[in-house]
Amino acid sequence: MSYTIIDTCTGCGACVRICPTRAITGKKKDVHRVDGNLCIECGACGRICPSAAVKDRFGNVCVMVKRSQWKRPAFAGDTCMSCSMCIDACPVHCLALSEAGKPKDPHGYPWLKDEKACIGCGFCEAECPVGAVTMVVPVPKEEPVKAKPARKAAR
Amino acid sequence: MNRGYMGRVLMVDLSKGEFREEPIPEEVFEKYLSGIGLATYLLYDRIPAGADPLGPENVLGVVSGLLTGTGSLFSGRWMVAGKSPLTGTWGDANCGGSFSPAIKRCGYDGIFFAGMSEKPVYLYIKDQKPQLKDASHLWGKDAVETEEMLLEQYGPGARVAVIGPAGERLSLISGICNDKGRIAARSGLGAVMGSKRLKALVLDGKKRIIPYDREAVHKLSRKCNRWVRFQPPLGPSIGAALIGALLRVLPTAMAMDGMVYKMILRQWGTGGLNQMSPEWGDSPVKNWKGSSVDWPLKKSKSADPDLFKKSEYIKYHCYSCPLGCGGKCSMTGKYSETHKPEYESVLALGGLCMNEDTDSLFYLNELLNRAGMDTISAGATVAWAMECFEQGILTLDDTDGLDLSWGNSSAMVALIHKMINREGIGDILADGSRAAAEKIGRGSGKYTVHAGGQEPAMHDGRQDPGFAVHYSVEPTPGRHTIGAQLYYEMFQLWKRVRGLPKKLPFQIYHKNSKYRATEKHALEAAACSKYMNVVNGAGLCMFGTFLGIKRTPTFDWLNAATGWNKTPEEYMEIGMRIQTLKQAFNIRHGVDPRANRLSERALGIPPQPQGANKGRTVPIEKMMEDYWRQFGWDPSTGAPTGETLAGLGLSVE
Repeated sequence: MSYTIIDTCTGCGACVRICPTRAITGKKKDVHRVDGNLCIECGACGRICPSAAVKDRFGNVCVMVKRSQWKRPAFAGDTCMSCSMCIDACPVHCLALSEAGKPKDPHGYPWLKDEKACIGCGFCEAECPVGAVTMVVPVPKEEPVKAKPARKAAR
Repeated sequence: MNRGYMGRVLMVDLSKGEFREEPIPEEVFEKYLSGIGLATYLLYDRIPAGADPLGPENVLGVVSGLLTGTGSLFSGRWMVAGKSPLTGTWGDANCGGSFSPAIKRCGYDGIFFAGMSEKPVYLYIKDQKPQLKDASHLWGKDAVETEEMLLEQYGPGARVAVIGPAGERLSLISGICNDKGRIAARSGLGAVMGSKRLKALVLDGKKRIIPYDREAVHKLSRKCNRWVRFQPPLGPSIGAALIGALLRVLPTAMAMDGMVYKMILRQWGTGGLNQMSPEWGDSPVKNWKGSSVDWPLKKSKSADPDLFKKSEYIKYHCYSCPLGCGGKCSMTGKYSETHKPEYESVLALGGLCMNEDTDSLFYLNELLNRAGMDTISAGATVAWAMECFEQGILTLDDTDGLDLSWGNSSAMVALIHKMINREGIGDILADGSRAAAEKIGRGSGKYTVHAGGQEPAMHDGRQDPGFAVHYSVEPTPGRHTIGAQLYYEMFQLWKRVRGLPKKLPFQIYHKNSKYRATEKHALEAAACSKYMNVVNGAGLCMFGTFLGIKRTPTFDWLNAATGWNKTPEEYMEIGMRIQTLKQAFNIRHGVDPRANRLSERALGIPPQPQGANKGRTVPIEKMMEDYWRQFGWDPSTGAPTGETLAGLGLSVE
């Protein structure tokens, strides 16, 4: 089972660029194709397609989501067991183990090293046995430069 | 239907540079599981009788486990298998790290290499397209350098298994490395890979591994994880050493619970027993001749687990392991970091050679990891050379001027460098102690300690006769990771498998009872062998299974991941089938199982005059016969009988 591309495809190539397994092929401005043998159903093509031309395995047309609103993994340090299953599950290798442990807790913990590469597939969440990974829509961070004077003013 | 396994293997013909994908029928997984079972099933037919282990006819299998990637814990073990050049028998070796899931993510349960390449090559798989690439620029580089170069080229997502210079030079005690120094060391399979001129495997697959019921697997994992995370403070490591001394003095022994060992592993790693083990006689000293008297706490202090822990800057976890017994240590000198030296390495290069120099232990650990040489066999071979030097069999002329007196750490370092580079005496020693003794002669053979050519690990059969039995009877002789009386206590198999004798945790019994060749002991040993074949088929880690069958639910994980509904007894039968086929492999290749018996010195013939194992002799002949009888093999020859083979549904020549 895999994702498929329907006739509304305009051949923009956005899916080709994001597909982590290079399963999508096609000429520019032509309808693209998904190689079912390579597709791992990460759904990135569906989320990025601007012309609603991708169907998931159940035949539903995927809805485009703005990339900044794609879900990203958040890690719960206290339940995480440092087993690195999430790191192995990631098809774009955007997760890594922290490099230095603390003296009291010398284990390395996973973190989102390459935020821009994350395609929001949620495989890390699905493969974690202890539920230490949750996919959340990122909250825009406040600029630290702006935050500083604000705090001073409050005093 | 998704059942955790991928259902395909990749056959690589290195002579022709061809690839062939082979689908594996579902019945094979049901009969042999994946992992070591699948390798045994395929290699039995494909390695012709009498094949030269270092020739093109030998087939090297690199396999992942059935449970790997399904969400079960401890499932990061991958295995290599083939005909061993060291022993001439069935050979397999097992390694952790992050390589095991990479095999499955390429869409294969295993990758098998036949033939021989003319020039050095490495295998690269991405997007399900396998390619053989030129490895001339990597040939001669050590394991860590090679891995770094390949990772730089292919990105951090690639997983690399590689041989070091020892494997390239066909040292019969070489292994295959991954994760910068984790090594599948035993059985000398690095030399098989070297003989095929295959430098490395680089896997960058992204396939999903989908179990039958992921939620059920996860539920079992969560329960298991709770046991792993239970960790009271343990105090300083000297406590363990003193308990070891107490156990030596007492006339009684106590059945162990795996939770105790789990806590030691989580705190210190396998090295937690560095000092305790020689104290209570579990670790051999001075080439198996010495005892706890020769290696007192004052000397073993050089391998104090707390000392090792000080240099550890982060714990190292294999894939899917919540325990994390490994570690990465910083060190001074030529290399800046190393994997924390494991128990076996420390004792083989330490106590066995009477070496008290901690820095040399760290250096040799990293040196041998990089060279891709087995630390156990290397340490045992050096210890043997040291005893030959003491006895005057080897002189300064033979050793190229190296003073191989006991514990001379600088000479050890120089000698091991020579072994890796095959220079001078190192050329003779690089093939292990049995081969070296054959070349040197002059009565040096009586100082070797081996089983079928494989140096046994740092667990003394005179302390736990179970080890002596498994060293002697396993189709892969000299193997310490299959069974022992201690392991049986920790596996707690009687809780799930009917008809096995109970040995309740912390139950006290007299030490003498360990040395009796009873049917009960044979039953326990056979159960360990069967169970470990299931564990290796599933790709689980032995340390994980030490928690006990109820806490590490091997059988339940298998059922949840595959959707089968097999009983524990049925799984044990699968283990028996794998074991029997391995033994049939040996018989087919003209191996006499009796000849793999452990050397007399390690069996207490003659008994030791002092120390923890004073006066102990293992009644090995009877124990071997009893073991074979448990499997339905001919007790006088160790060959599986036609009746047994038919009963297991095996058709062999």
